[in-house]
Formats: sequence, C-alpha cells, structure tokens
Amino acid sequence: MTPPSDGFFLDDRAETQGVDWRLLRRLLRYVAPHRGLLAGALAALVLGTACQLAGPYLIKIVIDRHVTPRVLPGMAGWVLLYLAALAGAMGFLFLQMYAVSALGQRVILAIRAEMFSRVQRLPVAWFDRTPTGRLMTRLTSDVEALQELISSGLVSTIGDVAVLAGTAAILLWMDARLALVVFSVLPLLAVFVELLKKRIRAANREARRKMARLNAFLQEHVTGVAVVKAFGQEGKSDRRFDALNADYLAENVRLTNYFSLYFPGVEMLASFAVALLLWHGGGGLISGAITFGTLVAFLEYAQKFYNPIKDMSDKYNILQSALASSERIFQLLDTDVSPEYGEPAPRGRAEKARPAGRAESSVPAIEFRDVWFSYPRVDGGVSGAGAERPPALRGVSFALEEGRAGAIVGATGSGKTTVLSLLCRFYEAERGHIFLFGRDIRDIPRGELRGMISLVLQEPFLFSGSILENVASGGANVDAALSAAGVDRFASGLDAGLSTDVGERGGRLSMGQRQMVSIARALARNPKVLLLDEATSSVDPETEHGIREALPRVLAGRTSLVVAHRLSTVLSADRIIVMHKGKVREWGTHEELLAAGGIYRRLHTLQFDY
Amino acid sequence: MIRDAVDAVSAAGAGGGAGRAAERLRRAVALMALLAVLHAFFRYLSRRSLFVAAREVEKELRRRLFSHVIRLPLPFFQGTPTGDVMSRLANDLSAVWLLLGPGVLMLTGTCITWLIAIVFMLEISPALTGLSLLVAPLVVVVSREYGRAFHRQHRGIQESLAAMNGTLQENVTGIRLVKAFTLEEREEGRFGADCREYYRRSVAVARTSAKFHGAIGFLAGAGIALVLYFGGRSVIRGELTLGGFVAFNAYLAMLAFPTMAMGWVINLFQRGNAAMGRINEYLRLPAELPEDAPGPPGGTPSPPPGAVSPPTCPILEVKGLVFSHEGGEKVLRGVSFALGKGEVTGLVGPTGCGKSTLLSLLAGLYAAPPGTIFWEGRDAVEIPLTERRGRVALVSQDPFLFSDTLLENICFGKESPNPAAASEAARAARLLDEIEEMPRGIETVVGERGISLSGGQKQRATIARALYGERPVLLLDDALSAVDSETEREIFEGILKASGEATVLFSTHRMASLSRCDRILVLDEGRIVEEGTHDGLLSLRGRYFDLYSRQMLARELEEAT
Ligand SMILES: Nc1ncnc2c1ncn2[C@@H]1O[C@H](COP(=O)(O)OP(=O)(O)OP(=O)(O)O)[C@@H](O)[C@H]1O
Ligand SMILES: Nc1ncnc2c1ncn2[C@@H]1O[C@H](COP(=O)(O)OP(=O)(O)OP(=O)(O)O)[C@@H](O)[C@H]1O
Ligand SMILES: [Mg+2]
Ligand SMILES: [Mg+2]
Repeated sequence: MTPPSDGFFLDDRAETQGVDWRLLRRLLRYVAPHRGLLAGALAALVLGTACQLAGPYLIKIVIDRHVTPRVLPGMAGWVLLYLAALAGAMGFLFLQMYAVSALGQRVILAIRAEMFSRVQRLPVAWFDRTPTGRLMTRLTSDVEALQELISSGLVSTIGDVAVLAGTAAILLWMDARLALVVFSVLPLLAVFVELLKKRIRAANREARRKMARLNAFLQEHVTGVAVVKAFGQEGKSDRRFDALNADYLAENVRLTNYFSLYFPGVEMLASFAVALLLWHGGGGLISGAITFGTLVAFLEYAQKFYNPIKDMSDKYNILQSALASSERIFQLLDTDVSPEYGEPAPRGRAEKARPAGRAESSVPAIEFRDVWFSYPRVDGGVSGAGAERPPALRGVSFALEEGRAGAIVGATGSGKTTVLSLLCRFYEAERGHIFLFGRDIRDIPRGELRGMISLVLQEPFLFSGSILENVASGGANVDAALSAAGVDRFASGLDAGLSTDVGERGGRLSMGQRQMVSIARALARNPKVLLLDEATSSVDPETEHGIREALPRVLAGRTSLVVAHRLSTVLSADRIIVMHKGKVREWGTHEELLAAGGIYRRLHTLQFDY
Repeated sequence: MIRDAVDAVSAAGAGGGAGRAAERLRRAVALMALLAVLHAFFRYLSRRSLFVAAREVEKELRRRLFSHVIRLPLPFFQGTPTGDVMSRLANDLSAVWLLLGPGVLMLTGTCITWLIAIVFMLEISPALTGLSLLVAPLVVVVSREYGRAFHRQHRGIQESLAAMNGTLQENVTGIRLVKAFTLEEREEGRFGADCREYYRRSVAVARTSAKFHGAIGFLAGAGIALVLYFGGRSVIRGELTLGGFVAFNAYLAMLAFPTMAMGWVINLFQRGNAAMGRINEYLRLPAELPEDAPGPPGGTPSPPPGAVSPPTCPILEVKGLVFSHEGGEKVLRGVSFALGKGEVTGLVGPTGCGKSTLLSLLAGLYAAPPGTIFWEGRDAVEIPLTERRGRVALVSQDPFLFSDTLLENICFGKESPNPAAASEAARAARLLDEIEEMPRGIETVVGERGISLSGGQKQRATIARALYGERPVLLLDDALSAVDSETEREIFEGILKASGEATVLFSTHRMASLSRCDRILVLDEGRIVEEGTHDGLLSLRGRYFDLYSRQMLARELEEAT
C-alpha cells in the first residue's frame, strides 16, 4: 500500500541546523522566572551531595577508630551519625527531585499556555493546511519531551559539569603531564559526539515528524470512522496505518541504532583513556618518575572524570529529542499571527477610500468594492507556481444598506461562503476593500469587528456541552434566541431539555437541530450584522418557516446577509445578489431579477417547476 | 553480564599493568583496549536489540489497537471524545514503550548488579549478607505501597492528558467559531484549566516519586549502617577479617545506586502499567467482526433462504423497527416499509424525526434488533457485516472527506483507484467540471475534512464516492442540501442514469425534488405516517400536504399577486 500522499504534510519540517545554543538560551528564558526553585534545587543538590560524601568518611572513622583498634564502645554513636547523614542526604534528595520536577512542570505549563494562545491567533488559512493530529502532537508530546529535559536533565547536568570541572582541576594539580594523557582522548570523543550528534538529531527530528503524521492519520480516521465503516474499508485503513507505523518504527530503529552506539562508544573511549594512562603511568612507574600511589589515585580520578561524561551522554538522548521538540515548538510560537490580532495600522485608508460628499446616513452597512481573493493552497504549494486555482472571488462589488435583509444566491462553488469569510476577516482580501458601516474592516479592531457580526457556518459546529451552554457562548440574549430559532420547541421533546449534552461537534443532535442551535447562538449575540450561510438547509419547511417569521422580530432593524439555495428562503429579501464563478452577476430585488430574465430567473423556474 | 565479566577482567588487567615488566604492561594495556572494544560492541548489541524489540512490541500494540478501535461500533465513537481515543493511541502507547525499553533495560541492569554483588557478599560472610538483606522485605513493602500510589496517580495523569487533548482537538476543529464569537479567552481558560490540572497531578506524582526515592535510599543506607555496626562488632570479636569487612562494605555501597534506580524502574513500570490498563480498556470492548452474524435470533425466525422466490421479495424490507440511541428516548417506534428493486423512494419528515437514524440502520452502522430489517427476505442479522454494508452506499448528511487526493477520496470504497471510473462518478455527481478546473485535476489534495472545497463541492464529492462502487442500494441522507437546484436536478438525473438498476432511498427537505420519486415515505414521531406517490399524498391533505404547501406557499402567494 502506498502511504497517504505527502502533500498535506510537507511543510512540517522544522530545521534549524546547528543553533543548539540559541535554542537552549531560549529555553532558559522560560526557566528564568523560576530562578528560586532552580536555586533551591541546586542548593539541595550541594547539601545532599555533602551529606552523601560524609557517609564514606564516617565509615572510615568507624573503621579507623573502632574496628581496627577493636574498641566497641562509642561505635554505635558513629553509626547513628552515619544514619543521620544518610537521612539528611535523602531529605535533600527529596527536596531536589521535587523542586526539579516542579520546575519542569511549571515551565511546560507556561509554554503550553503560550502555544495555545498563539494557536488561537493563527490565521484560518494555517488551520486549513495543518492536520489537527499534527498540531496536537506539538502541544502534547513535543512539550512532554521538553519537560523531560528540564526535569531530569537540567539540574543533574549542572551537577555533572561541576564534578567534571573539579576532577579536571585535581588531575591537573596532581600531575599535569599524566592529566593530559587522561584528556588525550577528549578530542576523539568530541569528534565522535559531533559525528553522531547530527545523525541523532536528524533521526529524532524525523521520528517526531513521522509520529505527527501517524497521529494525523489516526485523528482523521477516528473522526471519519463512520465513512470507513459504511464503505467497509477497515482493512484498507489498517494497511495504510501499517505503512505509517512501519515508517515510524524504521525511524526509531535508526535512532536506537545511533543511540545504542553512543553510550558504549563513550565508554570505550573512556577505557582507552585508562589504558593509555596505564601505559604512560606504568612506564613512568618503571622508570621511577611517579609513585605507585599517584598512579592508583590517578586511575581512580580518571574514572571519576569519565563518569559524568558517560552520565551526560546518557542524557544526551533526552537532550536531543528535547531539542528536536523545541525546534518544533518554537517554530509554532514564531508563526505570524493573523493580522487582525495586531494593532490596526493607523492608515488613512478609510478616509481616503470613503467617497467624499456622501452623507453619513447613506453609508451602507456592508460594502464590497472590487474584492479579489484566492485561497492559499492547502498542500503547501508543492507543484510550483503557474498551477494556481482560479481566484475564488474576482472583483466582487455590492452594497447593502443598514437594516436591510440581503441574500446571496448562486451555483455551488461560486464563492458565497468566501464572501462571508472575508467579511469576518478569516482571510485577507488580496485586492479591493470591504467596508462595514463605512469603515474598512482592516481598520476595525478585532474585538469590535467580531462583536458586530454574528455568523452561522455552512457546516454547523457545536462545542460539546449542553444546548444551553452552546447558545450562551454566543451572547446574553439567550431566551429570545432560543425561541426564535425554534430550539426551545425541539428541546422540550428531549429528556434533558436544554441541558442535553450535544456531544462532540453536536453529533448527538440531528443535523437540523444542530443548525437551529447554531442560529440561536448567533442570535444570542444580538449582532448588528447577521450572516447566515445555508443556515436552514437541513431544517424541515415548517420549522424553517417558523424561523423566518421570527427573525425580523429578533433582528428588528438590523442588517442580515443570508446565503441560501432554497429560493423560498430568499424571496422576501430586500436585495438579492446572484453570484457566478466568483463574480456578482445580478443584483436587485426578487421582482427586478425575475424581470431581468437572467440566472436568477432560471434558478427560480427550475426550483419551483421541477 | 558481559559487562561485569569485562569489568573483572579489566580490573585484573589493571592489576597486571601495575607489574614491573614493561612487556607485561604493554600486553595488559593491549588486552584492556581489546576488551574495551569487545565490551562496547556487546553492549551496543544488547542495547540495540532490547530497544528494537521494545519498539517492535510498541508498533505491534499500536497496530492492534488501531485495527481494534476502528472496528468498534459507531456508538462508541459518539460517546467518546476523539481526544481520548487519540490520547490512548499516542500518549499511553509511548508510556508503554518507556516501560518496555528503558524500563526493562534498567531493571535487568539492576538485577544483574544485585545478583553479582550478593554472590560476592555471600562468599565473604553469609551472616552479614543475611543482615544486610534484612531491609529487603521493608524495601519490598515500601515499593508495593508506593507502587500502588504511582499507579493511581499515573492513571490520573494520563486521564488529564486525555482531557487536554480533547479540549485542544475541539478548539482546533471549531476554530472558525472561536474566532467569530471571540471565544479565544474562554478557550484559553478551558485549556488553561486542563493544563493546571495536569500540572497539579504531575507535581503530585513528582512528590511521591521523590519521597519514594528518599525512602529507598534511606533503607539501602540503613542496610549499610547495620552491617557497619554488626560487622564491625564481628571484626572486633575476631569473627571476620578486616579486609573482608572492608570489601563487604564496598559491595554494599555498590548496591546503593541500583537500589535507588529501582525507584525509577518502579515509577516507569507503574506508569506503563496504568497506560496499558487504559489501552486494555479499549481492547476489551467487543469489536464488530466482519463475519459478524450472531446466531439465529430467539425472536422472529426468518424464512429460510430459498423458501421465498427472489423476484417477489422486496430488496429491502423493514418491519416494526424500533430503535433508540444510547441513553435516549425511542427515536423509531415501529417503522415498516419495503423498497422494491430499482425503485426511487423519498423520505421526508420534520427535523429530528429519525431519518438519519433510519438510514444509518439500513447501512449497518447501528445494530438493528433481529427480525426488523430483511435483505431479499433474509434477516439482516444473519448476513455477515461486510456483506451487509457492501450492499449499500451511504451518503451521510455530514460530508466527510479525507485529507487526500480527490481520486483517493472518490475511490475510497475500493482497493485500488481507477481514474476513469472515478471521473465517471464525478461526472454523474456534477463535480467533474470543477475538478477539471483545478490545476491538478483529480489529483488535487483536499484539506482535512475536505476543507478546501465549498459545501456543495464536498457533498458532491461524497456522492461521487458513493456512486463509484456501484452498490445495489444507494442511501442519500439530505445529500443535496448544499447544492443549487439546477445542479440538484442534474445530479438526480445523473444518479438515475448511472444507477439504472439501483434502488435509491433519499431523505430531503426540498419538497420539489420529491415529485419525481416512485414513492414517498413520510416519517413522523417514529413511524411512517403516510406513504404513496406525490400526487396521491397531496390529495390526502395530511402531513405531506402541510410540508409541501409550506414550502410552495411563497410561490403561490406570489402568483396570486
Ligand atoms: N479553504 C479553502 N481553501 C481553498 N479553496 C477553497 C477553500 N474554501 C473554498 N475554496 C474554493 O473556493 C471556491 C468558492 O468556494 P465557496 O465555499 O465560497 O463556494 P460557495 O458559493 O459557498 O459554494 P456552496 O454553495 O457549494 O457552499 C470553490 O471553488 C472552492 O473549492
Ligand atoms: N448519536 C446520537 N445519540 C443520541 N441521540 C441522537 C443521536 N443522533 C441523533 N439523536 C437524536 O435522535 C433523534 C433523531 O435524529 P436524526 O438525526 O435521525 O433526525 P433526522 O430525521 O435525520 O433529522 P434532520 O432532518 O434534522 O437531519 C433526534 O432527536 C436526535 O436528537
Ligand atoms: Mg458555501
Ligand atoms: Mg438527518
């Protein structure tokens, strides 16, 4: 089986070659606010180590003062002291571990929150091309890998480095020449580490990417499971999943391979260093240049010197996978937010564009002026330029006066939904201007813009929770909205009434019921402008009629723009806009359009004289 | 083991190296280097094979879990947030891998060190060994206690991770609404609460873990103290040599670290265990089997195959079908009707009357009670699931496309895509012109859920997908609600032509399209309340008449003026 086409996943490469330090510095910035915890952890580490080091010394005292001279009295005291030191060591160990974990958790709490609020503000187009599963992988397992680094790597690495430096100093102080022998394999070690590092990093990065892909696939098949079942394609899905799974495994095996090489390799080099030391030291011993004691001490210190290095190399995997993750995390954090979240640029555009001499009262509520727009490609533009889809909107212009009911009709795919999306500023128009009450929407702050508009999407989406919660998330005008949209009527037939749980995406309601709840939510906002995109397409004629009757009462003098295929929905509109292939072709009232004998007339005839 | 053998030999080598003779020194050093190489090599092999094996197990488990999960009955998915399923398939699985890989590696390392140390200790002094092992039962008890706590806490963590996943997933899929209704802050609050819950639980585990480490470390040290006191006393009494005592202590000290490492191991194991428990919860749920045909039902015995001559039998018959969704009221309360082969039947009814539920039942997505649905006279429950589902092509009300090419999407129902047939299906669904306008044609990749298509394009793509398989029964659930009436009519004609033989049942809210059906069923309050042709039903002046005239009213009014 071929794995799913790669196009959708292509831009998922986060590559920042050789900028570990920058990544680390950036990570440390998140640690900085918790300096206190970090200091506490370090202090506990030092004290704990001191207590721990006291242990062997106390044992030595017991042996020297009691066991060797064979005096029993007083020995118990020393042993108890030993126990006390031990208790101290363990107490500090507890504090250190606890502080370090808390630190790691706090850091990721902050990073997660920042990522989430960034995600909230990314442009809709970004979501169009990002599989949900991939995004979820970033916010969960990538962050998790980072936490691992902070919790189990950071403090102990600081400890390791300290031990390393101390040992190196002692070695140099004891015998500089022999010390150099001990250090002699270090360059080799550095080369070895550097060689593997690149590969480990690359494999880690690939593994993360493959995991995101796997999750994206999973996510999609879980949400679309009804289709898989209805078409009996479980077997096919299995096979495609197997391919992705095998891919992920292969990457992990590659990673394992490098990493299994890593630790033993470092150990081997350390043994070489000891062997070299013996070679030189033994020679020196023979020639009488050094004493036996020095050599033994050196051997011990050499081992002490390489222990933290081995230890650190063990943590290296954590570090590498954390770095691969943080690349992906920071890439997300660095993605530009949607323009409307920025400060509206102080441009004179609104003034300039507004035709002079027009009285304030005649300013239309909604105006499109020569708007062009084409969607960015979802597959990240793999196949080069020139192969673009035709623009979704090609010079759309229309105006709708305040308080009027407008309607957009037109063939499927003609750009109706796009008009509404642009008005909500989900996407930015490429050319032309969109005005809301005479102001260019780019000059209206986001909160204000979206406070004025209320929208019902073509595909109803409800949040899981009760019907009431969903409606209330729209705004305060709940009661009127519930009855106008007919929700109260159908809800009274449900066991739990308005507190019925609607399920994920509203899946426990029928499609028509979902649409009704969506309408209620939009009405609850008490909007100045109401946008309905096929909002009653799956509602039965009687209910639809009820809603249509009720709307004017709730809307009372507000502007509405309705997209509909069922012409019965639009007959009463003050202004009907007929779209065709991204252009406004006709524009007028029902009677005018019928008289004009164009597209509208044809649609009309077809619909009613089947 | 290799490692310790090597360690022993290298120690011997080191001892030899200390000898005077330069020749011996050289040999010893060479031997040491060689041993180091061998040691590294074997260590590499053992690590690699262990980790790879663990990864293989993880992969196998993931495969099994996935193929099990997609075979769980549909109501499961309606009752379970996607985030939870995802979390088990992702987070819980990785916890299991941590157990199998690093966990097992540490465990074996620890056990081997313990064993070897104990052997050496026994050699020196069995009595002291016994003494130092006195703390062992305590270690076991403490580990058990903490192990239980870990298990509980890790379960909590995995659960809050799943909750976080759920919020995230919902937020991302509903992002347009979040933006349109400026719910960003509310969502941040919800997600923040999940994160804080996760934080709280993680820190609680960290506290347990730190306490546990401390306790184990203390117990291990207490063993040393015991040996120090009693061993020292034995030396003083002359029962033990000083050298033996010192060596014994050295071995005990060697054990301190692995004992502490046990803390990690237990933590990892409990986490993996908790995760595995969550995975098993899913694996234990009964899945649908492809050849699922539960034995003959106790209720209505269906006529034996062959007893009825096929031509007189309707292709699909529903008798007294009663159904309710999990935890809900009865949606269908005794629906009965039959579909003749090649008939085109319309299904209308008010919103929420159960049309979609009925079509899903016919498509085999929900389990109907025995004796209610008959395919050519055979009770549906006796027909294997794959066969039953293979007979119908369902276009559901909520169009779903995969983030794949249009070709793959249209050919979803078949093993390998056939571009020519796919184009044919797209033509019948009136999608071909638009596809051809796209730069990559039928190879165009649509976004998640088909996000890069308009509402009507999505619906038509799902219709093309249903037409592609040429299945005998076509179920259209309000499948043309998002297309204009011109296209709607063309599609109808296309469907009728493309599926000359096919039986079609379609639900709709557009009354005009019903006039071309052979028969119309009106569903209300869980029953078929009216049945007949368009004209026949109109003359009844009942439910159908009401619905029809409501929609046509506007026009009549208009004509009157
Ligand atoms: N997110 C998107 N990315 C890329 N292309 C898109 C996207 N959304 C819509 N399109 C394309 O833009 C064109 C206009 O789509 P739009 O959704 O505005 O149509 P519509 O008039 O609402 O149609 P319908 O009645 O079927 O809903 C279509 O060709 C569609 O394929
Ligand atoms: N998964 C579910 N769990 C619980 N209740 C459900 C579920 N799906 C639907 N229902 C309920 O069952 C009833 C029938 O729903 P169904 O979707 O079959 O209606 P419908 O006739 O298709 O309506 P519409 O015309 O709006 O599509 C509704 O009251 C709905 O709330
Ligand atoms: Mg649309
Ligand atoms: Mg329905």
